[in-house]
Amino acid sequence: MNTVNDRSRDIGPFVPMDDDDMLICRCEEITKGEIRRAVHDGMWTLTEIRRYLRTGMGLCQGQTCSRLVKGIVARELGVSPAELEPATSRVPMRPIEMRVFANEMTEDKEADAV
Amino acid sequence: MKRFDLIIVGAGPSGLSAAIEAAKRGLNVVVFDENEKPGGQLFKQIHKFFGSKEHRAKVRGFVIGQQLLKEADELGVKVVLNATVIGLYQDKEVVVRIGEEVVHYKADAIVIATGAAENMVTFKGWTLPGVIGAGAAQTMMNLHGVKPGNKVLMLGSGNVGLVVSFQLMQCGCEVVALVDAAPRVGGYGVHASKVARCGVPFYLSHTIVEAEGEDHVTGVTIAKVDEKFKFIEGTEKHFDVDTICLAVGLSPMSQLLKMAGCKMEDNPKRGGQVPICDEYGRTSIPGVFVAGDVSGIEEASSAMIEGRMAGVVASEYLGYIEEKERDEELEGLSHALDGLRQGMFAPKNRGKQIEETEEGIPISTNLLQKGYVSDAEIEHFPGVTHVVGVHPVIECTQNIPCNPCQDACKKGCISIGCNITSLPIAVPGSKCIGCGMCVASCSGQAIFLVDEDCGDGTATVTLPYEFLPLPEEGKKGTALGRDGKPVCEAEVVSIKSAKAFDKTNLLTMRVPKEYAMQARFIKFA
Amino acid sequence: MKKTAEVVIIGGGIIGCATAYYLAKLGREVIVLEGSDHIGNGGSSRNGGGVRQSGRDVRELPLVMYGIKNLWPTLSEELEVDCEYHQDGNLRLGKTEKHREILTRLADNARGVGLDVRMIDGDEVRRINPYLSDEVICASWCPTDGHANPLTTTLGYYKMARRMGVTFITGEKVVSLGIIKGHVRKVVTENNVYEGENVLVAAGLDSREILTSVGIDIPMTNSLLECLVTEAQPHMFDQMLGTAEADFYGHQTKHGSFVFGGSSGLERYNKDNGMVSNSSKTAPCICRGIMKYFPDLADAKIVRTWAGWMDASSDGVPSIGAVDELPGLYVACAFNGHGFGIAPAVGHQLAQLITTGSTEISLHELRYDRYKAKI
Repeated sequence: MNTVNDRSRDIGPFVPMDDDDMLICRCEEITKGEIRRAVHDGMWTLTEIRRYLRTGMGLCQGQTCSRLVKGIVARELGVSPAELEPATSRVPMRPIEMRVFANEMTEDKEADAV
Repeated sequence: MKRFDLIIVGAGPSGLSAAIEAAKRGLNVVVFDENEKPGGQLFKQIHKFFGSKEHRAKVRGFVIGQQLLKEADELGVKVVLNATVIGLYQDKEVVVRIGEEVVHYKADAIVIATGAAENMVTFKGWTLPGVIGAGAAQTMMNLHGVKPGNKVLMLGSGNVGLVVSFQLMQCGCEVVALVDAAPRVGGYGVHASKVARCGVPFYLSHTIVEAEGEDHVTGVTIAKVDEKFKFIEGTEKHFDVDTICLAVGLSPMSQLLKMAGCKMEDNPKRGGQVPICDEYGRTSIPGVFVAGDVSGIEEASSAMIEGRMAGVVASEYLGYIEEKERDEELEGLSHALDGLRQGMFAPKNRGKQIEETEEGIPISTNLLQKGYVSDAEIEHFPGVTHVVGVHPVIECTQNIPCNPCQDACKKGCISIGCNITSLPIAVPGSKCIGCGMCVASCSGQAIFLVDEDCGDGTATVTLPYEFLPLPEEGKKGTALGRDGKPVCEAEVVSIKSAKAFDKTNLLTMRVPKEYAMQARFIKFA
Repeated sequence: MKKTAEVVIIGGGIIGCATAYYLAKLGREVIVLEGSDHIGNGGSSRNGGGVRQSGRDVRELPLVMYGIKNLWPTLSEELEVDCEYHQDGNLRLGKTEKHREILTRLADNARGVGLDVRMIDGDEVRRINPYLSDEVICASWCPTDGHANPLTTTLGYYKMARRMGVTFITGEKVVSLGIIKGHVRKVVTENNVYEGENVLVAAGLDSREILTSVGIDIPMTNSLLECLVTEAQPHMFDQMLGTAEADFYGHQTKHGSFVFGGSSGLERYNKDNGMVSNSSKTAPCICRGIMKYFPDLADAKIVRTWAGWMDASSDGVPSIGAVDELPGLYVACAFNGHGFGIAPAVGHQLAQLITTGSTEISLHELRYDRYKAKI
C-alpha cells in the first residue's frame, strides 16, 4: 500500500451522535463513540484503531466487528470503506488452548492422524 | 514432515469439488475442516437447488453434500473433520489443530476454500441475546435440531433471508415480518412468493430502529426509510418477537490467504477482502489456489464449479495432467459457470434495476415491493394459461438459470428451450395428466396444478407442501392468496408423497371455482 | 502539505513520536515521516511492554532510570491515554545454577550504578508470585521495574504531538538524506523532498540504509522477535517477568490477557517472505516454556501471535545522539528489542539535545561511532 497520508488534513470537528454509546466490538466492548473519537485523535487506519482501542482483538478476532468498524472510520474520514486496509490476520485462526498449541504431534504419528 | 500433493482447507461445496477433481487425476489429497460435519453450508440447505442437470438442480443441498462426500471418499480423498487450520506459514506449511494436538503438514499445492462469514448490522439493542445471524438460525435448525425462537423478524430479503424465513416456518416458528432497507426484494421472486403466500408481510424500505428487551429480545421496532436510508418519523411499527434474524450479506473468510502473503484487494463487488486471483482461482502465490465464497460471494452451485476448476488447475500445476487436458476441462467448466451467471440476478446485473423480462414482459412491481405477484399481473406470464381440465400453472416470472421443470414433464407440457434463463411456457395443445412431477421438481415451488372447473362449482389446486404434520384428507382450512391473505374456505382433497417427489408433498385442495386462480396456499386453524 | 520544519524526524515509532512530542512542548516545529501506513508499526507495537531497568547494560541504565523516575509515573495523565503503566517489580527467573550466575552478575552491575536490584531464592519468588512453579530456584528482583502498554503509549505520544501541531505524514518512505553546505538538511522520500534544520533518524532497522546515503554506518542486523497473547484471564499478578537466558518474558495486561514473548533458538537463521512473519515452530515452543513456569495457564487460549524485527547491534545497546561529523544529523536506533521502556527518556533527552545542544543524561557511551575492532 504505502500511500502518502498527511495526518494534519482537516476532517472537521468531532460531533457527538445519539448512538455513540452503541457497542460495536462486542468482545472488547468498544462503542461507536470511542471509535469516532479515536479517528479525531489521529487514528486513521484500522490497524491504529485496533491498537489504540483493541477493536477486533478479542476472541472472535474481528470476525463480527471489523466490517462495522471499517464503515464507521471511513464515514468519519470521508473516504470509501474499500480504501481502508483491514488489519493484519494473525495465527491462530481460531483461539487455541496453550496446552494444545504446545503439544506438537511427533513425526511418526503424523501419517496416522489423517 | 508429512507431505501431500494437495491440502484443501474447507470441506464445503468448493473444497470437496476441488478434492474430487484432483483425486480423480491421481493427486494425494487431504481436506481439513474445522466443523464436526463436512459439507460446509450444504448440510444446512434443505431446499432444492436451482440450475440445470449439470448443476445438480432440483437436488436438495444436503443431498448434494452427501453425493460430493461419497464421490470424494471413493476417490480416496481424506476428509479430516474437527481439524482447524490455525495457520498457513511459509513454504506451504499448514498447521492444523486435530483433537488435542497441533500437526504440521506440507503441501505442494493448497486450495483455500474457507467460505464466508455472516455480516452484522447495528441498531439499538443489536447485542441482545436473540439477535442472531440467519445462517446461525439455519445451523441451529438444520444441523442441531434446535428451534431458534418462536416469533421471528427477518431482516434482509436476499435469498438467504427468504430461504431461512421459509425454513423457520417449516421449523414451527412464526415469521412476523420480512424487512429490508432496500426498496426492492433482493432475492429470487419465487423464494419471496413462497414466503409471502404463507402470510408473512414484507416491509421494503424499512429497517430496524431498535431491538427491545432487558436481557433478551422481547420486541422490535421498525420504521420506513427514505432514499438516503434515514428513518421517516411517524412510520414506526412494533412487533412482539423473541428472535431477530439478520440476513445482511456475507464476507469472505480470507484471513488465511492474507496471512500466507497473497496479494489481497478490497472489492465490494466480491463481498469484501478477497485475494487477487484469476478466473480459475490462481492467487499471487504459485501453488496457492482459491475457490468458492472466499474469493467472492456467490452461491453453492458456482462454488462447486470454481472448486472443480481449482482442482483441475492444481492437477496441471503439479504435473498430473498436461496443459491441453487442463484447458479442455476449464473450457467446459467455464461454460457451466457462465450458464449459472445468467439472468436477472447475474453478477453483471448486480445493482441494475431490471424493468422487464427477456421476453419483454414488465416485471411485477408487487413482487419486488411486497414479495408476491398480484392476481392481475400473474396473467401476463407465459406459464399461466387457462385450459379445460387439470393443467400446470407456472408462476415463474423472472429470468433465472433454472430448467428442471421442462425435463420433469414427460408429456411436454412445459418448455423453456435452450436458453436456460427463459421463462417456462405452458405448451399450447399439450395434455397434462396431473402427475405432479413438475410441481415437485420446481425448486422455487412456483408450479401449481389447477383444474379451474371441476363441474360442480369447485376447482382444485395442487400445491407443493413442505410442512409437517401433513393434513389428513378432508381436513378443512383457509385458502390463502399469493399475498398470504385469506381468500376462501378450502378442503384437502389429497396429499401425495412419492419418492420421486423428494419430500415435496403434493397437496390438492378444493376451493370454489372463482378462486381457482387466487388460492395458492392453505392454512389450518 | 508542509515540507519544511525546524526538525524533521524519520520514523513514526515510539522514539520518533516521543521526540516529536517533547520538541513540540519546547515550542519546536516538527515533521515526522513514517514509511509504513501506520504510526508505531515496527518494534513500538511489537514488544513485550517491559519498562524495566534490571537486566540492562549499564551504558543505557542511566537513561531508563531517568525515565522511570521522572516520566513514566505521570505519562498517562500527560498523554491523556491509559498507558497501563504498572510499577510492581520485575522478576528475572532462574532455574539452574548457571542462571543464578548470570542473574547475579547482572544484578551486581546494576547495583554499581545505583539500581535497587537483588537476588532472591525460590521461596521468596513464590511469595511475590505464587503462580510460579517449583522449577524456579532463584530470581533477580527489582521492585521499581514494571510494564506498560506499548500500543497506547506510542499512539498516545502521536496523538498529543499531533494535537500540539506536529505534522505526521505516513506512507512516506525516506530513501536518502541530503547535505547542503556541510549540514544535513534534506530528506528525500519516494514522493517528496522535505527540509529541516535538524534531522533525526529513528527508523529502526531502516536507519542503516538511510544513513548510508550520507556516509554514516551503524552496524545493525535484524533478529526476529515473536510474542503471543492469551484471552483475558482473571487477574493473577502485576509483575513483569523475564528469565536469565531471556528466552521468555511477559506480563498480564490490565485487560487480563497475558503477553508473552519468547524464542525457539532459531531466530538468527529465520527467513521471511517479504513481510514479518511468525515461524511455525516458535509459538508452540513459547507455550511449552510458559507452562513450565505457570502450569495454571495451560487452559488459557492463545488468540494471537505476532512477530517483529529487532534492530540488533553488536554490543546490544542503542546508538543515540548527535552525529558530530555531520551537523544537523541525529540518530536513535539499534534498540535491540528493549527500546520501549527507555523511549520516553530517549525522546525527552533528544528534544533537549536538538534544542539546546546538551542533555541531562550523558549519551556519550551510546555514540554512533563507538564500534571498534576487537584487537
